[in-house]
Amino acid sequence: MNSLLVGLLLVLLVPLFVGTWRTSLLGLAAQGLTLAWIASRLDPALDTPLAWLTLVDLAAVRGLLAPWLLYRVLKAHDALPRNDVIPPNLLSWTVALALVLMAFRFAARMVPAAGEQQTLVAVAAAGLLLGFLVLATQPGVFSQIIGVLRIDNAIALFELGGEHHHPSIGMHAAHLLILIATLSLYRWYLESLGLPGPMPDVPTREGLGR
Amino acid sequence: MSALLLVLGPIVAAIGLALPWVRARANGWLVITTLIVASGAIVAAVVPIPQHVRPGGMVRMDATARLFLSVVDPIFLGVVAYFWRRPHATSVSSTDLPRFVAASLVFLGAANAVLLSNDLQVCLVALEITTLLVTPLIAGSGTRSARLASFHYLVFSSVGLGLVLLGFACIARGMLDAGQVADFHIDALVARRHPGTGLWSGLGLCLVLLGLGTKLGLVPMYTWLPAAYDEAPPTVAAMLAAVQFNCAFVLLVRVVQIWRPDHAGLILATLMAMGVASMVVSTVSIIATFDLKRLIAYASINHAGVLAIGLGLGRPAAYGMLLYALSNAFIKAILFLTAGKIHQHYQTKDTRAISGLIRDLPYSGLFLMLGTFALLGFPPFGSFFGELLILSALVGNGQMLVFATFCTLIAITFVATGRTIFPMIWGEAKMLRSWPRQTLLEALPKLLFLIALVVLGLYIPAPIDALLRQVAAVLEGS
Repeated sequence: MNSLLVGLLLVLLVPLFVGTWRTSLLGLAAQGLTLAWIASRLDPALDTPLAWLTLVDLAAVRGLLAPWLLYRVLKAHDALPRNDVIPPNLLSWTVALALVLMAFRFAARMVPAAGEQQTLVAVAAAGLLLGFLVLATQPGVFSQIIGVLRIDNAIALFELGGEHHHPSIGMHAAHLLILIATLSLYRWYLESLGLPGPMPDVPTREGLGR
Repeated sequence: MSALLLVLGPIVAAIGLALPWVRARANGWLVITTLIVASGAIVAAVVPIPQHVRPGGMVRMDATARLFLSVVDPIFLGVVAYFWRRPHATSVSSTDLPRFVAASLVFLGAANAVLLSNDLQVCLVALEITTLLVTPLIAGSGTRSARLASFHYLVFSSVGLGLVLLGFACIARGMLDAGQVADFHIDALVARRHPGTGLWSGLGLCLVLLGLGTKLGLVPMYTWLPAAYDEAPPTVAAMLAAVQFNCAFVLLVRVVQIWRPDHAGLILATLMAMGVASMVVSTVSIIATFDLKRLIAYASINHAGVLAIGLGLGRPAAYGMLLYALSNAFIKAILFLTAGKIHQHYQTKDTRAISGLIRDLPYSGLFLMLGTFALLGFPPFGSFFGELLILSALVGNGQMLVFATFCTLIAITFVATGRTIFPMIWGEAKMLRSWPRQTLLEALPKLLFLIALVVLGLYIPAPIDALLRQVAAVLEGS
C-alpha cells in the first residue's frame, strides 16, 4: 500500500504547481478515488454496510460528485483556465515542499515504527498542511473551497488508517449527508460569488469582454 | 423520553410545515413549538430530578444540559417572538418564510441535541447541522458582502469542526494504544477518570480545543465572526451569538471536564493563551471600529476570551465562568436585536451618525444603555459577578500577569466602548424625525432578557444556583 500512499502524495502536490482550475478539480477527483482504493485495500472483504458506505463517500462523493459540481459552475460561466491554488513563485513551492518534509518528520515522531502506518500518517499530515497553505495564501472563493476539501480528504485518510470507527452506521450516514449538503452550499457560493463583477473570483471570458 | 422530545419535537414540527394549513401559519407555528420546547427546558431545569443518564444511552440530562437548556431555549423563544412581531424587519420574504421557519426549528432541535447527547461525536454532528442550517440564513440580505460573510463562516466552521473530528480520531488512537476501548460516550469517559495520556491524546486534545475555539471565535481562527455577526439579520445574529455559541461552549466544557485529569497543564496553557490573545485582538478592534454590530461582535470575541481563561483555570473560576456565560447569552441577544432595530430606523450602522437614541427611540436607547453596561461588566448584572469571580480565581491561582493583562484590557475596552456608544444614547439628536412608537409587546422579549440578567446578578433562584454549583463541581481544578 505504500505505493498507493506515495501516489496520493503526488496527487496532493502536483495540482499545486499547475495553475489551472481543471487540474485542481482533477486533483480532487484523483484524491477521492485514491482514498477509495486505499479503503478497499484496508478492507478488501467489503462485507459490512460501513465498508460500502465508506466507498460511496470516498469514490462517489469526494472523487466524483465534488469535482463535478464545481466543474459545472465554472464551465457554465466559461471561466478562464488560469487559477493558482498557491502563489506561483519559488517561495510558495519551497514552502509546500517544506511542509511535506515536516509532515514526514512529524509522522516519524508520532509513529516510531516505520511502515504503512507511518507513511499514512505522514501523507495525511501533508494533506492537512497543504490544505492550510492553500487557505492561507489564496482568498478567492474557488481556491478556498479547494483548500477546505483538501483538508477534509486528509482527515478522511487519517480516519481510514485508524482502527476506531463509530459503531453506529447512522453516524457515518450523517457525516456523508453533511458532506453532501456542504458541497451543495459550496456550489451555490461559487455560482453566486464567482460571477463576473467588480472583483471576479475566477476571471471569466465574459468578465474580460472576450 | 422527555429529553428526546426536546430534540425531536422541533424536527417533527418542521416536517409538519409540509401541510398547507401549517405553512400558511408558519410564523405562529414557530412560536408555539418554541414555547412548548422552552417550557419543557425550564421545567427540566427547575424540577429537581436525579441525574438522568442511562449508561451508554443516547441522552444525558445532567446538570450541564439542564442549566444551558434553561437559558438557550428561552433565548431562542425570545428571538422567535421578536421575529414574529417584526418579520418585515428581517430579510425573509413571505415566500421564504416556511423555509426560514423549518430551518429554525431543525436548528433548535440540533442545538438541543448538542446539549443533551451522551456521545461526543453525536454532539459534533449536531453542531455541524446547526452550522449548515444557519449558513444560508446569514446571507439573508442577499448582498454580496453578506454572502461572502456567510461563505467565510462556512469555511471556518468546516475547518474548525474538521479539526475537532481529527482530534477525536487522534484521541481514539491514543486510547487504543493504551489498551482501552475507544468509546466517546460521555458517561463512559467520565467514569474512566483517566481516559488517556500520551502523545496522540495530547495532540488530539489540542486539535479539539483549536477546533471548538474556532466556533467560539477565539484566536487564531476568529476572523469569520465580525463579518458574520455584522452581515446577518438581527434574529440570525442573536441565534449565532446566544444559542449556537453556547452549544459549542458546552461541548468545550464537556471535553475539558473529561480530559483535565490527564492534561491539566496543557488545557490551562492552551486556553489561557487563546483567551488572552482573543481579549487583546478584540480590544484593539473595538478601539478601531465605528460599526455598531461589529463592535458587539468584537465584544463577543472578548467574552469568549474571558470564558476560555475561566475554563482553563478550572474549579476555582467555574462558578463565575458559568455565570458569565449565561449572562452574556442574554446580553448578546439584547444587543443584537436592539442593533437591528437601530439600523432599520437610521439606515446606518455607523455609530458616529446616530445620536440621541434615548429620546428618538426610548426603548432601544434604554436597552442599548443597559445592554452596554452589562457588556462592560457593571453591577447589578450577572456578568459583573462572573467576571469578578474569574479575576479572583486568577489571583488565587497565582496568575498575576494574566490578571494584570485582563484588568488592563477590560479598562481599555470600557473606555473604547463608552466613547463609541454613549454619544449614541445621550448625544444631541442629529435627525429630527418622529418614529412610530415601539409597543411593549415588541420590546417584551428584550425586557425579559434584561430581567433575567438582573436576576442573575442580584438573586439567583435556588434551582439555577443549585445547577450552577453542580456543574462547577464537576470541573476539576488545574
